[in-house]
Amino acid sequence: MVPIFFHLRRRLTAAKADVSRAVARGEAAVEETHTLFGLRLLVAGLFWISVYLLSRGILALGIVDQTARVLIALLPIPFFIYYLWVWMKGVRSMDELQRRIEFEALALAFPLAIVAYMTMGLLDVAMPRGLDDFGYRHGWLMMPLLYYFGLWRARRRYQ
Amino acid sequence: MRNRLKVLRAERDWSQAELATRLAVSRQTINAIETGKYDPSLPLALKAARLFAQPVEALFFLDDEP
Repeated sequence: MVPIFFHLRRRLTAAKADVSRAVARGEAAVEETHTLFGLRLLVAGLFWISVYLLSRGILALGIVDQTARVLIALLPIPFFIYYLWVWMKGVRSMDELQRRIEFEALALAFPLAIVAYMTMGLLDVAMPRGLDDFGYRHGWLMMPLLYYFGLWRARRRYQ
Repeated sequence: MRNRLKVLRAERDWSQAELATRLAVSRQTINAIETGKYDPSLPLALKAARLFAQPVEALFFLDDEP
């Protein structure tokens, strides 16, 4: 009877240790996924920014050929699409709360961007300044900024 | 909506991270549910109920319920 008791106790201790190890591995895997996603997003973002700055720099050199200028100007687009693809893939791997946070960030950024673009558009109607207007060239930059503001706000709400 | 997730977790001596792993969600999600800032989806609520071997209404209940 006593050996059976000790045997069962050993089995129970071993099973508990197995569960603890499995849970620890699970936690580590979740952390690893988040770190990997953040790292990939950062690398894709830096790559895109680098190509964007390179493209702007080459255009500033004063290339005359219009076709070449268009191709150089549009060069960052595929890299930005890749950045978005990494982001969307990351969102698919998130849990329900993290997806909700992403959704709330976009739900804030999108209407605010419409308000900002509408304001710029109406001001342009009142005071036309042509395609050199700040809004046309750099307005898109505020959209990711609004998204990050929305993300910060939504994360705070669920902390 | 209120819930007994924190109590049941404490009874089993699990950390938030441990429960999060068992339910395949982030620790932030568990924290948000426990503090009442986020109501889980029905599949997640059912998963939690199955994990704690309790009916779902024993884990989650409306604010006006006793």
